[in-house]
Amino acid sequence: MNRPIRVLVAKPGLDGHDRGALIVAQGLRDAGMEVIYTGLRQTVAQIVSAAIDEDVDCIGLSSLSGAHMSLFPAILAELQKEGANDILVIGGGVIPPADVRVLKELGIAEIFTPGSTIEDMAAFIRSHVRKDAGTTDQAMTDLARAPQVIDHIGLAVVSMEETVRFYRDHLGLQVVHEEVIPDQQVRAVFLQIGDTHIELLESTSDQGPIARFIAKRGPGVHHVAYRVDNVSQWLERARSAGLQLIDDAPRPGGQHKLIAFVHPASAHGVLTEYCQIVKD
Amino acid sequence: MATESQEERKDQFMTSSGISVQRVYDPASIASTDSYEEQVGDPGMYPFTRGIQPTMYRGRLWTMRQYAGFGDARQTNTRFRYLLDQGQTGLSTAFDLPTQIGYDADHPFALGEVGKVGVSISSLLDMETLFEQIPLDRVSTSMTINAPAAVLLAMYIAVGEKQGASGASLSGTIQNDILKEYVARGTYIYPPQPSMRLITDIFAFCAEHAPQFNTISISGYHMREAGSTAVQEVAFTLANARAYVDAALGAGLAIDDFAPRLSFFFNAHNNFFEEVAKFRAARRIWARIMKEEYGAQSKKSWQLRFHTQTGGSTLTAQQPDNNIVRVTMQALAAVLGGTQSLHTNSRDEALALPTEESARIALRTQQIIAHESGAADTVDPLGGSYYVESLTDEIERQVKVYMDRIAAMGGAVSAVEQGYMQREIQAAAYETQRRIEHREDIVVGVNAFTIAHESEPDLLRIGPELEDAARARLRDLRAQRDQTAVDASLRRLRQAAQGDDNLLPPILEAVREYATLGEICDQLRSVFGEYRPQHW
Repeated sequence: MNRPIRVLVAKPGLDGHDRGALIVAQGLRDAGMEVIYTGLRQTVAQIVSAAIDEDVDCIGLSSLSGAHMSLFPAILAELQKEGANDILVIGGGVIPPADVRVLKELGIAEIFTPGSTIEDMAAFIRSHVRKDAGTTDQAMTDLARAPQVIDHIGLAVVSMEETVRFYRDHLGLQVVHEEVIPDQQVRAVFLQIGDTHIELLESTSDQGPIARFIAKRGPGVHHVAYRVDNVSQWLERARSAGLQLIDDAPRPGGQHKLIAFVHPASAHGVLTEYCQIVKD
Repeated sequence: MATESQEERKDQFMTSSGISVQRVYDPASIASTDSYEEQVGDPGMYPFTRGIQPTMYRGRLWTMRQYAGFGDARQTNTRFRYLLDQGQTGLSTAFDLPTQIGYDADHPFALGEVGKVGVSISSLLDMETLFEQIPLDRVSTSMTINAPAAVLLAMYIAVGEKQGASGASLSGTIQNDILKEYVARGTYIYPPQPSMRLITDIFAFCAEHAPQFNTISISGYHMREAGSTAVQEVAFTLANARAYVDAALGAGLAIDDFAPRLSFFFNAHNNFFEEVAKFRAARRIWARIMKEEYGAQSKKSWQLRFHTQTGGSTLTAQQPDNNIVRVTMQALAAVLGGTQSLHTNSRDEALALPTEESARIALRTQQIIAHESGAADTVDPLGGSYYVESLTDEIERQVKVYMDRIAAMGGAVSAVEQGYMQREIQAAAYETQRRIEHREDIVVGVNAFTIAHESEPDLLRIGPELEDAARARLRDLRAQRDQTAVDASLRRLRQAAQGDDNLLPPILEAVREYATLGEICDQLRSVFGEYRPQHW
């Protein structure tokens, strides 16, 4: 069984601002990781030797004093020298965008600037640490709880009018929402069944994705959307399982939803959607 | 008649301190058994809820004091003179981290830090450059310096001497508040006990030699930045203040000799009315502590004078121009709360040090409030508001609960050593982060109303070449000064540190001989040791 991910949260240099470092340390602990916090005023050598001694998978560097361009690369160089450059290094603090680009070029995996969430950091660390490290099966289950409900089933239809007649008038389902999504060239009608919806999709143009789908496969089931707690985590999980994704990142899906699609090639012929309800 | 909907946006409305906000406030909300004179009082009258002067800004506007400092002394001197030309009325010096922690620019720990968050000062030579062409007897200078405050104050006095300005003619403030460094800010050097001695030595020295200097600025600002609530900010600041008063009394000083030179420094955060009420409550609590608990006789000892800075941690890196609006609201809260001086943050500070243009907008914000809004034309315009008076009472009540708890722990020094304040602040900070991540709190442009592509603002950059120049300057200085005199002065300082004599005279002597900041602090380190924090 694998052990939990171990993270060293470190304050290099003389900077005394540790609100962010302390919050991240606590937040990652709450996310199931083992976190060691160095405390203030650590030298480059102290940080690297602590990382090696503690056998961490990730170092999180925090700097708000403007010394990041000297200190962060020095950490990378020292790790290289010690043969520990397989440790994931991320950073955070008051760091201008131009510096972020340079630091990422140099090998800092990601920089989290003010406004970042711990959830994003945790997901990033999980998906980027050494493959032999980290996530037990249990942790993975916690991270991405199996979906509890089908959010909706999308059906590609040729004629909205006729199809609605079947679902509304024959089956007696209620139409709860209707919208046109211009950039998908689609008109959608939602009918409610329990906690789930049937989403009827009619193309508004000959060239739209739904029109192309029907031309190729005929009308019928277009996709199945599973309601998940967190689309980002599911994308990470899919990526680490080597699934082919249509969306690299969650995107807004209307009606306060965040969505992302897995390619049918990786889902045995069914276009599969992760769908997360975003609470106000 | 149609029934109005009673539905509200949230189940509960709360301030940052968790004070429940009612739908509406009325006379019953401020039902106090105390009379107006006892509980509120006219401006300039005890307990100073409405302000410390009868005329407030009708007499003189607050001091517009923008914190500035970066790079070397020459660059900061240029920025200082620019700000004075732009109508700023006081200087406020930011020092870089090596200076704040007592290391010279050529110390290995200074690598990458020289001139980054403030100006680098290693010796009297740098200090002379910093104040070149700025007559020290005609400006008031605030210095954000804590652990090595005695050294920087000595340098300031020495520059004054060279300009022909007497100690009595110098006015300004040193932050000199070590307790909050252990709690929140992190630029400590020595352990608490010798640090408290340095502070009382400064009180005693200045009472005699620089009577117009504010010898301490007891700061809630940084604890608020570290994540405290408004109530914790006031409670921990006043608890620390009590510790300084106790230390000074313990060192044999008389209360009315030093208490009038105590000043305070608070944050102006987002929750507008809570902030206004916070300032009013802080004044009233302090007046009562000084008069009733310590028996101070001088009215000046009762008056809580404070500087305010808008909340740096409220600034967002996203859509940075929105920060101008935040700063405006925060600055107005400080003015309506009766601040004596004010720093308004620049819009780009979540990304870098401010550019000259950003710094100018920040100053203009104050000038617009002062000259266009009418907010400065009457004293305490929110006094008597059912809501604000009720909040003022509630903050006072909750602050007292905290202060009593700290007193029961043996006072602030002991509470700091036990990590009590640190833990309370950390818990509040984590809760704030949780609320933002769950969108229970909305931060405009961050977890709501975001835009996909942020434009990149022009930012100020400090180059690494500065560090080399600073090292070269120190090398030249060490070659040119009278080393025998330097060594002798450092020896005398060390002897004083081992005994009980006031440390300011030997520090001043060493400074005059061009002993460096690092050399002076090293002498004290070797006697006092260094503070090593525990982690809670």
